Amino acid sequence: MRVIFSIAATTIGEAIRRRVLLVILLVGTLLLAIAPGLQVLSARQERTVLKSFMFGTMQLTSAAIAIILTVYLIPNEIDRRTIYTILCKPVRRWQFLVGKYVGAIGALGMMMALMTFISVILFYVMQRDAPVSELAGIGQVAVMYYVQMCILAAVSITLSTFVAPLVNFFLSGGLYLVGTLFTSVFETFEQNSKTPGLVKTIAHLVGSLLPNFSRFNIQNSAINSVQTIGSETRYYVESGVYGVMYIIATIIVGMLIFEKREV
Amino acid sequence: MPAAIETNKLTKSYKTKNRGTTNVVNNLDLHVEEGEIFGFLGPNGAGKTTTIKMLLNVITPTSGEAQILGKDVDDIEVHRLLSYLPEKPYYYEHMTGMEILKFYASLFGINDNEKCMRLLEKVNLAGDMNKTINQYSKGMQQRIGLAQSLLNDPKLLFLDEPTGGLDPIAHIEIRDLILQFRDEGKTVFISSHELSDVERICDRVAIINKGTIEKQGKLEDLLAGGRVEITADGVPQNVSDSIKLTDTIVSFKDGRIIVDMPDSADTNSVIDSIRTGKGTISSIIPRRKRLEDLFIETVRDANQVIKDKEDAK
Repeated sequence: MRVIFSIAATTIGEAIRRRVLLVILLVGTLLLAIAPGLQVLSARQERTVLKSFMFGTMQLTSAAIAIILTVYLIPNEIDRRTIYTILCKPVRRWQFLVGKYVGAIGALGMMMALMTFISVILFYVMQRDAPVSELAGIGQVAVMYYVQMCILAAVSITLSTFVAPLVNFFLSGGLYLVGTLFTSVFETFEQNSKTPGLVKTIAHLVGSLLPNFSRFNIQNSAINSVQTIGSETRYYVESGVYGVMYIIATIIVGMLIFEKREV
Repeated sequence: MPAAIETNKLTKSYKTKNRGTTNVVNNLDLHVEEGEIFGFLGPNGAGKTTTIKMLLNVITPTSGEAQILGKDVDDIEVHRLLSYLPEKPYYYEHMTGMEILKFYASLFGINDNEKCMRLLEKVNLAGDMNKTINQYSKGMQQRIGLAQSLLNDPKLLFLDEPTGGLDPIAHIEIRDLILQFRDEGKTVFISSHELSDVERICDRVAIINKGTIEKQGKLEDLLAGGRVEITADGVPQNVSDSIKLTDTIVSFKDGRIIVDMPDSADTNSVIDSIRTGKGTISSIIPRRKRLEDLFIETVRDANQVIKDKEDAK
């Protein structure tokens, strides 16, 4: 564990100094900061639009950070030969990969925590009459986004063990879009009684293999109080378990590939 | 006592674009004794780094075996006994010299600030320990690299171009440190193009070309069989004219003769001729080959053999 945490701590130290990530974070926070400009709308609309804007900014910025941070993590270590000075120590490859991943989600967590903090403060300043539950709602959405980004980072770091960074960037981005927007399409195929059996099987297989990012998108219920989640606790527990299991499975695949990889 | 490094027909092949295979390292038999400085020489692309990577278990051999200090290279415990300093290493730039050492120490489970401090002193970086790596010169980065490679008090050090691109002072400092390692009983495996360094500090060398070991042995044995220079005065012209041996250069001026000949040639007959002509021998200096000459000669001959084989096909 000590080895993993040492590698993770170093990864965090490097990640929070990477200019490209800091620029994305800066753009994200600046976008959040211009939120007061949305006050031209009516009071009810204002709150809805403000939240939508904040969540959208947070999600896009986090996804960009998660992908850019992780696609280069392993390839950079190989290009710069740092990996040799680490792997020639009593460090197993899986420990290196897990350490890098833990560091990546640690850095991601810090950056997302900053964005969430800014969002909550801004929302509080602009909507002083808003109930505390709405402020807590922003936190809940951010936590779900964080789990989503942890899955995305796991997918991206696993891909980085065998594809080039640029390809990985588009692959991870594509998977994120598909997993966010099209999971309902697969579900429709599966549930439609008119769908042929083979198509149903393929839809089930693809739907199960692809990360279901959409289940972590709870912003609609946070924006619009009319939309509610049936049993909240159950939903969060199930989503959390799904997220953790998906991350573990993905990282194991990454470990197996990385074990055989010639560096 | 097991050898520090022992390989048996170690081979690494890669697939080529035309679906063939190419052997980057071919049936490599290396033998490195404990406590010696071993020079691993070869032109660019000869397979030196691939060999080191196989010995470090970061790439898997296609065939053959390799053992380090009597253990298979894929035994993780071997990594507690060795260290590696890559060519042009990169260290996390945001970290200070001390933090770098603490990080690498933690990978061994070592939590000993005093040890890190001692190593910084050893490589003469104690005064710069709080500077970040991006403030370090190339020589300082190489020295912090050496310090990190000593954290586990290794029995075997792999140094890839340890003096490459360094200024003369940094160069000498690193060379002296390597000699110090030998005095401490460590085995040092150096891959280098700095032949003068290798000649000065290595006990044994191997020359690899296109994946194959062409020469391996003690430096004194490999460089022996050089030339002899005989100088004599008061020698008549006819004696000078009578010395006609192959690969021999005779220069004569004002009764002084200098004969530069292979030491395998008949040295005694030349001395006898000079004495018969009433000449006085001033000096007989055996001159061993230079490593640079041996290296160039070996690589050139090996390439010629390969070319002849290809032409024959």
